[in-house]
Amino acid sequence: MRPSVIKLFGLIALLLVGRFALAQPLTIDITKGIEGSGIPIAIAPFGGGAPEDIAGIIASDLQRTGKIAPQSAGARADYSVTGQAQPGGSRGYIVQFQLAGVQGAPLLNLSFDVPPNQLRPVAHRISDLIYEKLTGEKGLAGTRIAYIASSGGSWYLVVADADGQNPRVILRSGQPLMSPAWSPDGGKLAYVSFEGRRPQIIVQDIYSGARRVVSAAPGINGAPSWSPNGQRLAFTLSKDGNPEIYALDLATQSPVRLTSGSAIDTEPVWLPDGSIVFTSDRGGSPQLYRIGPGGGAAQRLTFEGDYNARPTVSPDGRTIAMVHRRGGRFHIAVLDLQTRQFRVLTAGGLDESPSFAPNGKMIIYSNGQRLTAVSLDGSVKQDFALRGNGRDPVWAPYGR
Amino acid sequence: MQHITRNLIAAAALALLAGCASTGDTTAQDQTGAQPDATTEQGITAQPGQDAYSYPYGQAPSQYDTYDTAGGANASGQAGGGRPGQAVAGGGSAVSADRIVYFSFDSAEILPESQTIVAANARALTGNARIITQLEGHTDERGSREYNIALGERRANAVRQAMIAMGVSPQQIRVVSYGEERPAAGGQSEQSYALNRRVEIVY
Repeated sequence: MRPSVIKLFGLIALLLVGRFALAQPLTIDITKGIEGSGIPIAIAPFGGGAPEDIAGIIASDLQRTGKIAPQSAGARADYSVTGQAQPGGSRGYIVQFQLAGVQGAPLLNLSFDVPPNQLRPVAHRISDLIYEKLTGEKGLAGTRIAYIASSGGSWYLVVADADGQNPRVILRSGQPLMSPAWSPDGGKLAYVSFEGRRPQIIVQDIYSGARRVVSAAPGINGAPSWSPNGQRLAFTLSKDGNPEIYALDLATQSPVRLTSGSAIDTEPVWLPDGSIVFTSDRGGSPQLYRIGPGGGAAQRLTFEGDYNARPTVSPDGRTIAMVHRRGGRFHIAVLDLQTRQFRVLTAGGLDESPSFAPNGKMIIYSNGQRLTAVSLDGSVKQDFALRGNGRDPVWAPYGR
Repeated sequence: MQHITRNLIAAAALALLAGCASTGDTTAQDQTGAQPDATTEQGITAQPGQDAYSYPYGQAPSQYDTYDTAGGANASGQAGGGRPGQAVAGGGSAVSADRIVYFSFDSAEILPESQTIVAANARALTGNARIITQLEGHTDERGSREYNIALGERRANAVRQAMIAMGVSPQQIRVVSYGEERPAAGGQSEQSYALNRRVEIVY
């Protein structure tokens, strides 16, 4: 690059910094903790002078589960956590912690050798170890979420930690982005991008940033969903006149049409057995239907009210969450596929885009502006306060 | 005003980037997407479209201001042949009122008061076969986003069918649905919703 160009670049960079310095950073704060109580636990500050407040991160992670209740100093607790994070080891820091009951030997006593930029992930890891020890369930503190944000005519695909911290923009576009979907290994995101002023389905490797167009047919290219083994994508195309469900083998690149008819068929998701649940208005209003792995006759799944759409399947394949309208308000509702029990989970408004946590215990959703996570038993609710907006949240699988 | 300034600055930066990109040894313009190695030394991947920039997770910027400047100014690598100004084009296109067709809630039936607008635009198209129009379908923000994409397309197709019935050649019409992604009016009033349930006739 010529020096004069570099100089001009510097000037523009300065102008841009001045202009955008006012832009709000995108972070999510947990504004609301738990409803009800949990297992009382005392977490002492970690000594050693690490640049992260490890005890604070652990307390925040555990509080957010709703099942464990960090206590203020001096209060009675059933369990205690003590630890150190000291410079040393081969990578920069040695983080050591103990979980103990009121008496007896420690329940956990572990140490980690980590570089400085891994102190926060290690704190999440410790939170999950404590949570798993005390509840017998897999924790979520070490997981991630992806969502879409927009500001000033740009759209952003963001990946953040499950506590909303450490947001990373892995894609910025001047045209709408929507419908991100994690690959089962957690290494890729499929999504819809309107770059070039038409919708395309793109798969992006989140670690390399490399992208691949998997569908750019005339008309709608929408609602991508990964098969359980990660080898196929289901999505919606309208190239034959109206929206239909297709399945694409990613190795052979040949899409197979699974639905037909003049109705809207869209929003496919896979069940563990390879069958597909989707939204269709073939009965006059949008409802959820199920077809076999190769298509065929559709079985209607929902009968409550006149609007059930955007299904998402729990990791065990037993529960479907969806967008449900009643009384003019949009709620998140769940359907148990075995008992056929239907439950409305949220107070409602503009609730949309539900996604299960990988342990199946929580659902994250959006009201178009903000993100909220709610437990399936209704006992825990977290509002993520965004300084920017957030929508289309998807919880990453445990993956690698 | 702020937006205009911002767009101009960003457009200038992009124009410059486009210039720089031409001096580089690769530009990522492949629309087919079979190009896994389009990552630049800065880790910014501009591919497969013209408007988007991807970042490896480990190097991804964490704040709006950072990525705006990263994409606009720090990126001495390729910009993917972006059309200047395109990447920062704001919300919906500014279409004049005589090219907007409105709809009722949950409906793809053209409202009676919008019929004259369809007819007037159909006359313009039949009068000049070289005009290609893009019919852009939109919905209000209520309900599922992807289902709204389908509803927006149904609305655009309703206008398409009406125009074809008025003698417009199908070859002159393209259809795209933005669903609820590009609202014309903000807020959650019935009035805003009514303004957002529309098809824009763009040509």
